[in-house]
Amino acid sequence: MNINQELIERYHRDECTQEERKAVEDWLFADDSAEELDLPVGEDKAAHKAAIWNEIAPAPAKESITKSHSLSFWKGAVAASIVLGLLGLGFYQFTIKTKNDSPQFVSVDNTSAISVRHLDSKGYNISVGPNTLAKINYATGSVDLSGSMLISPKKDVELKFKGTDKKISLKGGQTYIILNGKTDEDKIIVVSERNLMDLPPVLQKQIINQFSI
Amino acid sequence: MQEKTIYKSVKKVILLLTSATLSLFLYSCSQQPETSNMLAGKNYSMYILGKDGKEYIVETNSLDSGKILPEQQGAMLDAKAMDRDIIVKDGSYYHLNRKKAELSKYNVQNDSLHTVASIPLKDFSIENYLWVGKDSLLLTGLDIKGFKQAKYVLIETGKMDLLSSGSLAIPQPSGKLTSMSIGFVELRKNHLFVGYTYHQQLSSSNYTTSDTTYIAELGYPQMNLLKIDKDTRSTYPGGINTVQSYSFNDEHNNYYFMSCPGIALGNRPALPSGIFRIKAGDESLDKDYFINISSSLINNHAYGMWYIGNNKAIIRSERKDLFKGLGDHYSTAHFEFYLIDLAAARVIKKLNLPLDKGTRRECIIVKDNMAYIAVNSSTQGNFIWIYNPKTDDLKKGLELAGNTDFIMRIDKLNP
Repeated sequence: MNINQELIERYHRDECTQEERKAVEDWLFADDSAEELDLPVGEDKAAHKAAIWNEIAPAPAKESITKSHSLSFWKGAVAASIVLGLLGLGFYQFTIKTKNDSPQFVSVDNTSAISVRHLDSKGYNISVGPNTLAKINYATGSVDLSGSMLISPKKDVELKFKGTDKKISLKGGQTYIILNGKTDEDKIIVVSERNLMDLPPVLQKQIINQFSI
Repeated sequence: MQEKTIYKSVKKVILLLTSATLSLFLYSCSQQPETSNMLAGKNYSMYILGKDGKEYIVETNSLDSGKILPEQQGAMLDAKAMDRDIIVKDGSYYHLNRKKAELSKYNVQNDSLHTVASIPLKDFSIENYLWVGKDSLLLTGLDIKGFKQAKYVLIETGKMDLLSSGSLAIPQPSGKLTSMSIGFVELRKNHLFVGYTYHQQLSSSNYTTSDTTYIAELGYPQMNLLKIDKDTRSTYPGGINTVQSYSFNDEHNNYYFMSCPGIALGNRPALPSGIFRIKAGDESLDKDYFINISSSLINNHAYGMWYIGNNKAIIRSERKDLFKGLGDHYSTAHFEFYLIDLAAARVIKKLNLPLDKGTRRECIIVKDNMAYIAVNSSTQGNFIWIYNPKTDDLKKGLELAGNTDFIMRIDKLNP
């Protein structure tokens, strides 16, 4: 699908179809260095950023004074968010890195705050949640997780999660929700998707939204 | 030409229709012996989660004895479309399909679930339901992006028509508070009481709840905000009542609801689980009434409360010494059932039942003054137990065997 300005504007207005939305998000989060913002040699990114900020800064103030400018404000806001979004691609490592160092080891660092990364690998289907680092060693069955993931093993397996002593049995063909926070106080939670309703509603809602289940 | 002559002959047409009707009747009798039962409507429904992850709805006429294998006698469900957050009334099931954003009405026919009618329900996560009339279902919920805006829809359930909808003027979470929950809704004449609280997300797997129970009083059906009542004796009032019950009216219209700050709901475990009351005719909480469950002989948090008549209720409480955390809270059998005297505001005793598993379940119904309690024991099987409050007698009834892992809910199909 051709990603153009009109499509991005509609994406921001939440008017995209499922396909269009996916195309925009795939494009946005694609691990493609060609998407990096390349400035001519000698140009300073920070100076560009400051200039753009200066240009868009008065817009919200106008809106607060008079309602009749709201349409132009929204146009400005949409344009600004596109510019900032593109800048974001340049300034930050806003992409998801998937390393297949060896067939036995998969490391997924999903630094996106909204997007889920899906992997169909040897033995497992995995969806890695936003802001999640997952390292899976197939040889030893050990998993190091910080964040959230869904995992569907293709056959019955036992996995050992970093931070817990005992192995956890997962049944082939079933989907499991795995949560683990970034601090020591957060305990690892492994729950079958069929028992989603047994999780606290606050966590349920978060998982339903993140993984669109 | 031959057809024309047939249609001209009225007698022949009548004969044809009669024989067609008769053969249809005979066909249904020979092919589907359960049809007569289906038309009469069965008395009870159970929602079963199987050991292999399959789910079933089993309808039956008696819970008193016998054995049912859901894989043989149940309607197998499409796990993608259905879940156990359902509303059951007068033989029909209502469920919100999240992906389709559609609320559907279903019936069980010939051992499968059939959609009767549907209505779009966009950007709506159901928190609580209340039947405000025989065919009028009031749903309260939250927006699905942030779970910050309280809203409602009123649906005519005969044809699944939308009667009204809108936002509720309940303040959105602000400051460090990130989302909210509606835990009960009660209508008294033209006043609607909505119990709610706010949450704070701490990490991807951790959150906590405000120390305050809020009750908004709204004009009904205008839904204008009249006042907000607050109480800090406990927090997380009620819960999502499509999954489990947390409140009821007694015979005299005193309204009772439970608060659940334990790890499975509010995750503010320093506050006690408790039972609050709004007296009949009153418009605010009874400030002199509170049953502190956590400081009673139960000495644990509780989730779920059912009225069994004559000022007695049964609550379901966890055993913190038997589970490690949320990861095994649902799979370990650690739940106990306690009998509560609401009038005396005290815990009477523990019912002599096996330890039960499943964090949240709709597991008690009352019929003819008997309480039917579904218990999932890890060692003694899945049974419906029958408690007689008059004689204090407790005995085993229907067994759910075969593929049954959890009896997730038990409902009456007719009043």
